[in-house]
Amino acid sequence: MKAKSFFEAWNAFFFAEQSPIPIALFRILFGVMVLATLLLLRADWMAWYGPHAWVSLKSMQAVEPGTRLNVFAFISRSDFWVHALFWIFLASAVSLTIGLLTRLNCLIVFLCLTSIDQRNLFILHGGDTFLRVSGFFLIFAPAGAALSVDRLIRIWGRREGAEIRPRNPWAQRMIQLELALVYFVGFCWKVAGTPWVQGTALSSILQLDELQRFPAPSWLMRPTMLKLGTWFTLVLEFALGVLIWIRELRYYLLAAGLVFHLSLEYLMNIPMFQWDVLSAYVLFIDAADLERFWNRISAGLGGFLGEPRTVIYDGGSERLRRITNLLGAMDIFGRLSFADLRDSQTQSKPPSKKARNEFLVVTRSGPLQGLEAVRSVAAALPLLWPVAALLTLRKSWDSGAKPNRKAN
Amino acid sequence: MARASQEGKGSRPGKELRQERYFGLKMWQYVAINIFLVFHILAISCWCAPISSPFIIGCKNALRPYFLWSGLFQSWDMFSPLPKATNAYMEALVLYKDGSTTMWSFPRMEQLSLTDRYSKERYRKFVETVLVDSSSPLWPDVARYVARLPEIRAGGPQKIMLVVKWSDIVANPDGTFARAPWDEHVFYSYDVKPEDLQ
Repeated sequence: MKAKSFFEAWNAFFFAEQSPIPIALFRILFGVMVLATLLLLRADWMAWYGPHAWVSLKSMQAVEPGTRLNVFAFISRSDFWVHALFWIFLASAVSLTIGLLTRLNCLIVFLCLTSIDQRNLFILHGGDTFLRVSGFFLIFAPAGAALSVDRLIRIWGRREGAEIRPRNPWAQRMIQLELALVYFVGFCWKVAGTPWVQGTALSSILQLDELQRFPAPSWLMRPTMLKLGTWFTLVLEFALGVLIWIRELRYYLLAAGLVFHLSLEYLMNIPMFQWDVLSAYVLFIDAADLERFWNRISAGLGGFLGEPRTVIYDGGSERLRRITNLLGAMDIFGRLSFADLRDSQTQSKPPSKKARNEFLVVTRSGPLQGLEAVRSVAAALPLLWPVAALLTLRKSWDSGAKPNRKAN
Repeated sequence: MARASQEGKGSRPGKELRQERYFGLKMWQYVAINIFLVFHILAISCWCAPISSPFIIGCKNALRPYFLWSGLFQSWDMFSPLPKATNAYMEALVLYKDGSTTMWSFPRMEQLSLTDRYSKERYRKFVETVLVDSSSPLWPDVARYVARLPEIRAGGPQKIMLVVKWSDIVANPDGTFARAPWDEHVFYSYDVKPEDLQ
């Protein structure tokens, strides 16, 4: 009976389908973290990874032997190829962030990330390790199932509808487990050290010149506060490693973890580590809560995108149906509503020939057609703002050019 | 779903029921994923466990080739069990062929601007690693790199000496900490060869 309930719990944890929005959000944050890491390294790409780097590949392999997944071991040892690898890595990280060819780019990003880590193991911090390990599991996750260009392509190809299909979360769970393990193992190591148990560890760490970023407030530097801070670190690391799995405590712990990491970001110079770890917090947030949170934001921000618009289209036109499906998927602020001309509630007569080819946008200030309609819709969808900007430019260009033509 | 339930009551379960049982996966996928999950959960837990029992050490040795290859190796002993208790930095003393000397300093975080601290933090970690005795195989590479720096190479370097400067952080009886005076030590000396400057 116990074994049965264990298997049921195992299956529910790893396989019960759930919304892929948290893992898609993590994919975006992960991509941003990788991009930030690469750009921060940009000035030193050659210094750390080039053919004449601080540590040669030969020395690296001598000090840290073993067969390793490392592209640097296979490419020609020239500046050109090292640069090429980094630009491919950068392009792939951008594609992963926007969710274009997600699985392939996830694989490329992991391969490149592992390679730069393996090429120089002596400059890594915990954030790099966390990105690498979570990147490994992200390869197996449905990271492109939502909030991705891949999804828009599937919608355009009518392989997917407006609803985001729930998926197996087993790969997401592995990243969650990894994050919990980071905290729990960190707790275990610390609790084995006398300075941590006695409460003097934080005082000692804050004396390290190289780690200081901004000065700590004087009230925090009192011995009693530093002791409490040291013990709070132990308690929090244990809680984030173990108690995070208790649903009722989860959000309180995530909030405490957020404050903890932001405080470290303020006090200590360990670039990216805090953000790398915090990026995975999104995986612990329930998709329904994310949706509620987003609805609040979009209710607040939606007003800045102008009045709501109704897009009227001919549902008999395959092209218009595809476009409206796509617009619906991009309408993250809920500014658009759609009406099919063939819908019995919309009208009884068949649509005119013109209406069959283009859509009509109805706003409170009146109906719009043609490029004006496209511009109005694009202005309501942040993803299409470049299109809206181009059309606005064109409009102002046209209005500026007309009097000249008359003059000529 | 109802159809699947009806078929389930029969002697031969239908495709839908099988898919429901395996959460939309084919049976082989479900089995393979479970093997993957069990292996990785146990392996990563074992790799990270701060326990030095013979069993755990044996497991780590068995897992090492896979973890090193795949990049799953990890350690989470930041500032523990004993936090670092020394402020230290590294410099390179350069002796030129004409007998002159110069001191080249590795980027020190406390002397950099806020933005530079973000981009140059890798030097902090690198110096921390290089200063450990077990990193001695890296010292010739470090010395060669310093010799190849344009401003050093131009002067014709003959010898590079790596110098560590340090100050211990000492605990006071009242729970506060004080810094001991700075000390320094040349821990490596390298004779520059012509081919190093190519």
